[in-house]
Amino acid sequence: MLHRDRAALLCVCLQAALVVASGFTDMDAGPGAAAATQPSGDRFKIEGRAIVPGIKTQDWVSTARILVEGEEYVGFLRTDGSFAVNDVPSGSYVVEIVTPNYRFEPVRVDITSKGKMRARLVNYIKTSEVIRQPYPLQIRASGPHSYFMKRETWGWTDFLMNPMVMMMVLPLLIIVLLPKVVNTNDPEMRKEMEQSMNMLNPNPELPDVSELMTKLFSGSKGSSKAGGSSKGTRPAAKRRMCSHLHEASFL
Amino acid sequence: MGAARLSHKTKGKTVNFRLPPSLEEQAKAAAMAKLISLCLKFVMLYSSVEAVFEDQVGKFDWRQQYVGKVRFAHFDTHMQSSKKVLLATEKNVFAALNTRSGDLFWRHVDKTGPEGNIDALLQHGQDAVLVVGNGRLLRSWDTNIGGLNWEIVLDSGSETVDYQAVYSSGNGEVYALGVVPHSHITIVAYSLEDGEIIKQISVEALWLSNIQASCVVIGQGVLTCVDSPTLSLYMLDLHEQSQMTQIPLQSLGLEVTPNFHPVLVSTQPNSARQPLSEFFLQLGPEHFLLLQLNNGQIVTLRDFKPAMLVSFATTGEKTVAAVMSPKNKTACSLNLFSAETGRRLLDTTLIFTMDPNGGKPEKLYVQSFLKKDDSVGYRVIVQTEDHTLTFIQQPGRVMWTREEALSDVVTMEMVDLPLTGTQAELEGEFGKKADGLMSMVLKRLSSQLILLQAWTAHLWKLFYDARKPRSQVKNDVTIENLSRDEFNLQKMMVMVTASGKLFGIDSKTGNILWRHFLENIPTNAAFKLMVQRTTAHFPHPPQCTLLIKDKDSGLATLHVFNPIFGKKSHITPPALPQPILQSLMLPLMDQDYAKVLLLVDDQYKDLSTELIWEVVIPTEVQRIVSIKGKRPNEHVHSQGRVMGDRSVLYKYLNPNLLAVVTESTDLHQERSFVGILLLDGVTGRIIHEAVQRKARGPVHVVHSENWVVYEYWSTKSRRNEFSVIELYEGMELYNSTVFSSLDRPHAPQVLQQSYIFPSSISTLEATLTEKGITSRHLLIGLPSGGILSLPKMFLDPRRPEIVSEQSREENLIPYAPELLIRTEWFINYNQTVSRVRGIYTAPSGLESTCLVVAYGLDIYQTRVYPSKQFDVLKDDYDYMLISSVLFALFFATMISKRLAEVKLLNRAWR
Repeated sequence: MLHRDRAALLCVCLQAALVVASGFTDMDAGPGAAAATQPSGDRFKIEGRAIVPGIKTQDWVSTARILVEGEEYVGFLRTDGSFAVNDVPSGSYVVEIVTPNYRFEPVRVDITSKGKMRARLVNYIKTSEVIRQPYPLQIRASGPHSYFMKRETWGWTDFLMNPMVMMMVLPLLIIVLLPKVVNTNDPEMRKEMEQSMNMLNPNPELPDVSELMTKLFSGSKGSSKAGGSSKGTRPAAKRRMCSHLHEASFL
Repeated sequence: MGAARLSHKTKGKTVNFRLPPSLEEQAKAAAMAKLISLCLKFVMLYSSVEAVFEDQVGKFDWRQQYVGKVRFAHFDTHMQSSKKVLLATEKNVFAALNTRSGDLFWRHVDKTGPEGNIDALLQHGQDAVLVVGNGRLLRSWDTNIGGLNWEIVLDSGSETVDYQAVYSSGNGEVYALGVVPHSHITIVAYSLEDGEIIKQISVEALWLSNIQASCVVIGQGVLTCVDSPTLSLYMLDLHEQSQMTQIPLQSLGLEVTPNFHPVLVSTQPNSARQPLSEFFLQLGPEHFLLLQLNNGQIVTLRDFKPAMLVSFATTGEKTVAAVMSPKNKTACSLNLFSAETGRRLLDTTLIFTMDPNGGKPEKLYVQSFLKKDDSVGYRVIVQTEDHTLTFIQQPGRVMWTREEALSDVVTMEMVDLPLTGTQAELEGEFGKKADGLMSMVLKRLSSQLILLQAWTAHLWKLFYDARKPRSQVKNDVTIENLSRDEFNLQKMMVMVTASGKLFGIDSKTGNILWRHFLENIPTNAAFKLMVQRTTAHFPHPPQCTLLIKDKDSGLATLHVFNPIFGKKSHITPPALPQPILQSLMLPLMDQDYAKVLLLVDDQYKDLSTELIWEVVIPTEVQRIVSIKGKRPNEHVHSQGRVMGDRSVLYKYLNPNLLAVVTESTDLHQERSFVGILLLDGVTGRIIHEAVQRKARGPVHVVHSENWVVYEYWSTKSRRNEFSVIELYEGMELYNSTVFSSLDRPHAPQVLQQSYIFPSSISTLEATLTEKGITSRHLLIGLPSGGILSLPKMFLDPRRPEIVSEQSREENLIPYAPELLIRTEWFINYNQTVSRVRGIYTAPSGLESTCLVVAYGLDIYQTRVYPSKQFDVLKDDYDYMLISSVLFALFFATMISKRLAEVKLLNRAWR
């Protein structure tokens, strides 16, 4: 988003420069001012047609309105999608079709004091720029409004590609696969591995996490299994036994 | 000078602007705040885009659509089975309602003011013809689709004819009747098909000023008017273009109640066919006559006295008259009479029971239909003074009611719900003074027991409900079972409407829990609602005070009530015989924990006031349009902003700061301007002044924390622009422990930036949360009905034009002149709110959540999460995944443990 904004900024700067160069010379500024002050002047009619591709007009016209310059003038759509906003004095107006379901682009309509009309694209930054649009207006909906954000859907691939999962799965694979690759029956190899294991765990007095977990689980489920509980409640004995076993294997 | 006058004399010794008690606490926490804000920034900036998810639709939001006080209503008699009623209202709304449910089929909202005013309504088949805009436009609507057939300008050349009535003889022509007051009547006939003019005539009528109020069309196009000064009927045959004939009422042997303006009621608007020659003439407040025009002679068919309301209805070939007459104090009875003869029809009595918290019946609309045995059955819509529409079926069953007063909400407040009995009990335990160890222990145990009891009862109810089919489980919220939820998300919305009816609405469901109609409210009343005591002071009940002030005379009345139950308080407010100049709720509390209300009248009797400061704003150049302080319940969590280089820019948090908006009196587009003045309310010192040249109002302002955002119309570029002003102390705080307006030697740094906004706006408000940690959003009501939630970070004067390493570090968005309206930011998705007039925001018990109510023609309530829901599990939290992973791990541990045991045993044996 930041990058896009930066690009937009550049454009904007360019446009701003253009605007300054043109000095805001707007031909229709005069009538616009006149409109505000003299209500008794001539009144004109803004006409056009709105189209929602693929949708019957009677299905959407009842929810639509034509707003001219906010709510300054209001018009309604006929059953065939055409519209006319009556009683509009000369000036320059932004004409919008608003409906809760479809998106229409606004159009700027300029009316001279003699009633000559033209339509152009709305450009709030370069207000005097004229890109002609057809008049009577032909406004086509550019699709339904998108009001909702998509929920992040959850897939197996997302789960597997998660770095945390990768960090867990890869060592597991190594642990499972390595013994298959390396011949564990070779006593030299085994010795080497034991040594490396000892190096990894330099302080044998430190409680082992897996052991702690085993203790915890056997403790909670202990009463049903007598054998398990006797072992679980006496970790020292177990440890001793383990060390015996170690010694045995060394011998 | 305007502002100065207001402050003049109202400043007493006791009046000082709010100094929030949280200030000290804030200062202490400043250092920590820095740390927290840094951490929170991480949470917020990366989740800044807020939007609604599709599965949240209707979960915590609701909308109610209204049409306003009804002016004309016609039942669709085009088809026997039709269930449509057309309503044209004083809010310039034309709508079709479903008579079965009271819901809207469609609704068209025209411009407010006289230009959208609906003057007349005529139904013709499936079309409805309306005169709109004080006789300016004639519109034909297709009532099935809700689309326009045609629209023409009723133009009459040089004269200004006010078209006020429509009439049809049922042959494809429609007559628009216009009047030039005290001169003549113009009658234009249009084709119903396309609105072509068929013919145009004009008849002299020097005495006539208003057709609507005094004329109807009866029989074969006979315009009949009643003139109260001369007490006579005037008749004119529209088809024969003759002179008006005058018939004095006295010659008919009729007597009008003194000082009463007689009214005529005809059958026409109710039927698509030619009007009948029978009509009603009202001679007094409760006196009606059924008359018949027979070959130019007027015959009295029946005299109704007492009768409150009358109406005609037609079904098939039968036209009936419904007459409402008072029965007793709480009910009215309705009866049907044959229109041709005036005979009463049997078994047609309908009882309308009046709501004690409502008003008297005001209008009556009848839908009649033929029963199987060819007798006439009927249903009625009764509109009462409090703008309530009630649809009633024989013999008095209420099908639905619509509270149309809610289409004109003036002000509102949200009040916390009270704690439940058990919760209150617990609170009470801690509130009381300690009296011995033993009794305290006993109390503790007893309250624990109560809690246990409540919990088991709750469990039992859950279990009991689970066995019943879902449809039977009622989850109705009533006043009795109202209680605060654990996150304080459900509140009581107290709404004050222009009609003088007050409502208490449950914010969670939108149900109206109480209503109270205040009678004798002046039409131009101004309302001010104040919460004097919240629900936090058990056992004192919460207390709201409504100040109702007549704008013309300045005379005011007070209504004190309990916001939870809507009951009028037993406290009798003082009578206010003098005009009130100003009212203010002081932050001081009395011994009963009620905030003190300061009222200043023009006598200054009880309170001596003196002028402290005065700022003169020359009224010939500019006028003050609004003065905005900060909201008293606002909290600012972080005292500064962390810059890119890890230094802190401290905010200028002056609780006494006022934003004064002025507009120029000269409205010429070259010379008009909008001014904004930031001044200290205690000292009167002007902190900052900004002027927007070539700009005009309406100006919308939000003032909060250390910033002011305002929106205006730029006459030069013909666009709406936003401007933001932010105030900073600088890199050091002057006195971090307490803020004093009298001791601030350094002027704050002021930053300002402006933006283009691609739409006009209806209203502006900022979100509010309990502790002020959550980032702020601006809620912008648009004319299209959308409510845009714009993150405040888009309106930040520190947005850089050129991106630097530091600005990126601070997460500043590069400056772009145009703010975008993204429909994803609409908090109300397609639930548009017509004519948004105000947005009310209230904090909830959750820091992430802000409650929002938008009101206008519609009412919309929702919750917004400006920084997403960081303090509760999200809606889409995957319980399945987390529990399945847990279980899988558990079983994996069990199995591997077992395997390890076996392996160990085997190895030991080896």
